[in-house]
Amino acid sequence: MIHVQGLSKEFRVHKKQEGLLGSLRSLVRRQSVVKQAVKAATFHVGEGEIVGLVGANGAGKTTLVKMLAGIIHPSGGDARVLGHRPWERARDFQRGIALIMGQKAQLWWDLPAADCFLLLKEIYQIPEERYRQTLAFLTETLQVKGELNIQIRRLSLGERMKMELIAALLHQPRVVFLDEPTIGLDLSAQRSIREFLLGYREEHRPAMILTSHYMEDIERLCERILIIREGELVFDGPLAEVMRTHARHKVISLQLKPGASPVSLKRLLGVGLDVELLEEGPERIRIQAPRDEVPNLAGRLVSELQVHDLAVEEMDIGTVIEGLLHARGASAAPSAEAGQGAA
Amino acid sequence: MLRHLRLYLHFLRFSFSRAMEFRLDFFFRVVMDAAFYAVQIAFFGVIYRHTVLLGGWNHDQALVFVCGFFLIDALHMTVFANNLWWLPIFVNKGDLDYYLVRPVSPLFFLSLRDFAANSFLNLLLAGALLAWSLLRLPQHLEPGAILLYLALLVNGAFLYYLVHLAFLIPVFWLHSARGLGDAFYTLEKYAEKPDRIYSGWLRRLLVSVMPFSLIASFPAGLLLEGLQVKVLLHVLGVTALAFLVVRAFFRLALRTYSSASS
Repeated sequence: MIHVQGLSKEFRVHKKQEGLLGSLRSLVRRQSVVKQAVKAATFHVGEGEIVGLVGANGAGKTTLVKMLAGIIHPSGGDARVLGHRPWERARDFQRGIALIMGQKAQLWWDLPAADCFLLLKEIYQIPEERYRQTLAFLTETLQVKGELNIQIRRLSLGERMKMELIAALLHQPRVVFLDEPTIGLDLSAQRSIREFLLGYREEHRPAMILTSHYMEDIERLCERILIIREGELVFDGPLAEVMRTHARHKVISLQLKPGASPVSLKRLLGVGLDVELLEEGPERIRIQAPRDEVPNLAGRLVSELQVHDLAVEEMDIGTVIEGLLHARGASAAPSAEAGQGAA
Repeated sequence: MLRHLRLYLHFLRFSFSRAMEFRLDFFFRVVMDAAFYAVQIAFFGVIYRHTVLLGGWNHDQALVFVCGFFLIDALHMTVFANNLWWLPIFVNKGDLDYYLVRPVSPLFFLSLRDFAANSFLNLLLAGALLAWSLLRLPQHLEPGAILLYLALLVNGAFLYYLVHLAFLIPVFWLHSARGLGDAFYTLEKYAEKPDRIYSGWLRRLLVSVMPFSLIASFPAGLLLEGLQVKVLLHVLGVTALAFLVVRAFFRLALRTYSSASS
């Protein structure tokens, strides 16, 4: 449903030196730099897939989404969404997609949501019967039926976001772009929106691209992620694959028996190993160790220490991805092709 | 076409229900525009104390022209002005995004979504003034000529909008519309005077590439001096051409739209 091939976007950004003199200089002679927001992105998203697009601020996530939604023109490469080039803005393409931006409202601030939905019904030419059914389904699932006739500006942030979701999904799009849909929401609202999106995916099977800074959104909703760093896709594959290829360490947690005699951990952990002591208390020790070293090290620890309980944990996915996002240089991560995911 | 009409009815409904919430603004606009009308009528009154004819028109005829311009101005203020005022803000803040993903012409949506219901009373006031100026005119006017005049005033409001929009579209590249916006309001003064007072290259400009004289002055001329098919076709032709050029310009501008960072 979404096919992207070598898609790029450059922005020319004006540079101005500070102060009045800088302003005068820039009036006469303007300097600009070219910023490569997206560099030759290539990937595919199939029906029913929710793909997480993960990256730091300014990495190019939103630019990529906006190109695929037909808002901005690319500088190079090609893309097809529902068989159309998005930036040509064919009406069939626009009827088949939806865009939800958590940081930008699409509904009219001074009007009740019910009025806005009627306008959208007209815009998307939704037949009366289908409109009623879809609206009933969405309002009941998101539990906002009672708020339909309240002005948008009088709704809570969570309720507003739910109304935005309804507005975006009323016409039953086949491709949905979600840009930070849970931003600023409390935990309960985040959870209900995640559950709703999963349910909606099961029911309608749209292709979805989700960008979010909340790792829980990504973990709960996406089987596959794209990691973008400084405009470049550095990973495309299943979420589990990120852990396998990039979580090179595991964490060993030890619960010691009460009153256990102290031992020199430095001696136990050995010299030269990439081992880090995360926590050292009288009854609890946590050690980060290379994945391959874990069995040996765990055995040594159990035999030398008076261990009450031992657990080996995967590293937190957020930490792993954060490491990837901030890594520099070619060796930091395999190329996007190396981990190419499902089409 | 029907679909666009239905959409516009939604815009009207929304705008009226919003306008009723801000009553002070509602009445403030009426007072402001009434003051503007009074000043304009007084201005021509002062001029005609010193001359019998201005651009070939006597005082009564000039009042028909002036009140015709009021109607155009009120139409523009009610239908288009709010939308045009928002355009540079939308471009710079990246708020065009949602307009570009909808299966409706973004130009239609952006130009008409905000009907200034609080200017609607001014439309009635301008209509009443126009009726007054026509009734006090000594010369006999055929109903068909008056209808054509009204149609040309609507055409004038559309042309006024197109020229205004042409001055705002560069904001896609310049990111500041203030200079060009001010230039429009300076040049727009040419539309408030009879076209015959201008001559030479300025007049040629005002009836072609900057067609301010075609907005109110030519329609008044066609009413007061009799129908001339060539002039009528010129007015309609320039309007149609202006629409095609401005639409193409807008589409070109959308290609450079860069939205805004999230």
